[in-house]
Amino acid sequence: MDLLPSDDQQQIVDTIKDFLRNEAPVDRLREFGAIGNPDALLWPQLGELGFFALGLPDDRGGVGLSAAEEMLAFQQFGYHLVSPGIFGLVLGARIAAFAGEDALRDELLAGGIKVGLANSRGAAGAADEYHLFEAEEAAWVLLVSEEGAALYPRDAFSEIVRVNSTDSALVLERAKLSGAPRVAISAETDNIHDRALMLMGAYAVGVSEGARDLAVDYSKIREQFGKPIGAFQSIKHVCADMAIRSEAALCQASFAALVMDEGSPDTPFHATASKIVACETAVRNAADCIQVHGAFGFTAEANVHHYLKRAHVADMMWGSLREQRRRILTFPTPA
Amino acid sequence: MDLKFTAEDQKFREEAREWLNANVFKERRPHGGDEMREYDLAWQKCQYDGGWAGVSWPEEYGGMGLGLTRQLIWYEEYARANAPDNHLCFVGLNHGGPTIIAHGDADQKKEHLRSILSGEKIWCQGFSEPNAGSDLASLKTRAYVDGNELVITGSKIWTSHGHLSDMQELLVRTDPEAPKHKGISWVIFDMNTPGLELRPIEIMTAPNHTHFVQCFYDEARVPLKNVVGGLNNGWSVAMSTLGFERGTAQIKDQIRYAFLVEEMIARARERYGAAFLDGDEFGSRLAQLRADMAAARAMTYMVVSRAQHDVSPAMASLMRAMVGQVQQRVRRLAFDIIGADGLENPEDDDWVYFYLRTYATTIAAGTSQIQRNIIGERVLGLPRS
Ligand SMILES: Cc1cc2nc3c(=O)[nH]c(=O)nc-3n(C[C@H](O)[C@H](O)[C@H](O)COP(=O)(O)OP(=O)(O)OC[C@H]3O[C@@H](n4cnc5c(N)ncnc54)[C@H](O)[C@@H]3O)c2cc1C
Repeated sequence: MDLLPSDDQQQIVDTIKDFLRNEAPVDRLREFGAIGNPDALLWPQLGELGFFALGLPDDRGGVGLSAAEEMLAFQQFGYHLVSPGIFGLVLGARIAAFAGEDALRDELLAGGIKVGLANSRGAAGAADEYHLFEAEEAAWVLLVSEEGAALYPRDAFSEIVRVNSTDSALVLERAKLSGAPRVAISAETDNIHDRALMLMGAYAVGVSEGARDLAVDYSKIREQFGKPIGAFQSIKHVCADMAIRSEAALCQASFAALVMDEGSPDTPFHATASKIVACETAVRNAADCIQVHGAFGFTAEANVHHYLKRAHVADMMWGSLREQRRRILTFPTPA
Repeated sequence: MDLKFTAEDQKFREEAREWLNANVFKERRPHGGDEMREYDLAWQKCQYDGGWAGVSWPEEYGGMGLGLTRQLIWYEEYARANAPDNHLCFVGLNHGGPTIIAHGDADQKKEHLRSILSGEKIWCQGFSEPNAGSDLASLKTRAYVDGNELVITGSKIWTSHGHLSDMQELLVRTDPEAPKHKGISWVIFDMNTPGLELRPIEIMTAPNHTHFVQCFYDEARVPLKNVVGGLNNGWSVAMSTLGFERGTAQIKDQIRYAFLVEEMIARARERYGAAFLDGDEFGSRLAQLRADMAAARAMTYMVVSRAQHDVSPAMASLMRAMVGQVQQRVRRLAFDIIGADGLENPEDDDWVYFYLRTYATTIAAGTSQIQRNIIGERVLGLPRS
């Protein structure tokens, strides 16, 4: 038993970290302009490095590693607030692979095309109403539900209307689903819904840690009353709470990935628990991070607000805290 | 990263499970008094006689000499078998004993270790004083050397189970001139020593619940050979074993609390109907706790993993801080679920008693504020206050 990454796993983490630190510093979101992000430019490079195929079995055209490596990668994607379009590529390639659509799979793994995400508007809309994230120039749209997962061509959606995105680094549209999927797999074929929740949990862990580190770094350099604000306990303890919550979320994300790798019947329980703990943490850490920054944290010039908004996107995706809390009560007691 | 245990670990687990199932005490543990002492000692002796006491203690003192992973497995099985927590043995097993193992001389080891494991002696902890709580190093209980004896005068407070104990790990000031961390000694104190008086202190759980005592020492004489780790070296002796188990013992509580949450879900369904939880405030609190308990357990696994990689033990404070808060939330919700009946404090149902008891979890063994100071400064590298 060992929840820490092995040397090989750490090497993967370090490679991704280095890549994102250089190619995707969070400052890019501010520099890009008011709306959107430049992350689609990263996809071909990330594809070439094999990062979309980590958890895909090698006999299905993947790298053949486990859910643990995928979890670690998505933690880094969250830390750098990489566009959630990356879920579309990784999970989309998985759908194609399991559906035997090898050409499409390889195209997705190479990162040459964009895949948007469709998310039910839940109680806010009718059953066929969706939000589309990052789908504007996408060839495909990913839809994940408890029953399975599918790739739709963008024109399977009608009445597409662009709306202002609260997370302005993402492009958001409203749409109605009116067409059929091109490629679909059922929950029996692959546990892709659990995987999506588990990976979103990992992503939210990264968002939480990013907010924590931003707050800690700022409290070391911002001085008031003649000392760094981090010397004041009311700030120090807020930072400590962020660290405690992040640790809980990271441990559960690691546990959930390993349980998934074992093929345990507790997989949905732990994946759901991971998403709950991590999304709650991401929102709270981001909120605390704003407070630690004072008025600067309230501006668009600081990066802080991106963490808060992305945390809310992570929460809403594939069922918010409210829905996940309902679901988790329906699972049997885990081992 | 992996969750697999080795074949030997697995075998150990099965043997532990088998033994526990056959031997765990079924009678309810008394909440106090001599009956509680008898109960805890008998259960400790039973574990010792069965060869299961002190999983990580060295074999030469009657332990099993095994590593942290086995310790973790043992506690997991212990909780699953619903084995009673013999809290009275806690200080001996987790503080006093390990301190003597790490810093004691051969005579001290020979005289004191086995009787802790075998369920003969209860130890208590005499660290806190009326004016030295979080700022423990400011303690003032004075001890001077007279021939081959230490003569102790002063007072300790919040000594858990002091009135039921045989021995005490005692911190005294042996050099009042030295800087505050430098003049302290760690002493083995026999609770039958003349000059010691105890004042019982009732706790808030119910009338007549004595959990701890205040100790008054009036020229109490202790052989100088009872100083462990050298005169005036007591601070570093005490600090070195505070994190002895690095939190593995907490896995017991986490599993128990996870079971409790399951029980609460069942009780809430029974009381308010199956549909009730859906969308109700209780439902969402139970759901969040179900997720948080899973995370708490994963955190303990991480603590053990980190210890194997020799990562700074300060990281374990993250887990401790989280667990204290979650336990309070679980017990508060249990109290809320029983509704108006919670205003009755029945002897045969623990939900009220343990609800009140959890107010101590963020105070004892370092308050949650002090833990946050430690996390802020030692884990996150923030400047000192
Ligand atoms: C159930 C229980 C069992 C115990 N058993 C034992 C035992 O067996 N042996 C023993 O020696 N002791 C024992 N203790 C005592 C325990 O170690 C102390 O209560 C603890 O260290 C806090 O000290 P205090 O109670 O004096 O609180 P104080 O130190 O007076 O603290 C009061 C408040 O001030 C806060 N505070 C203090 N200093 C700071 C600071 N620097 N920064 C921010 N906030 C601060 C605290 O967090 C707390 O909220 C026990 C306590 C409890 C509740």
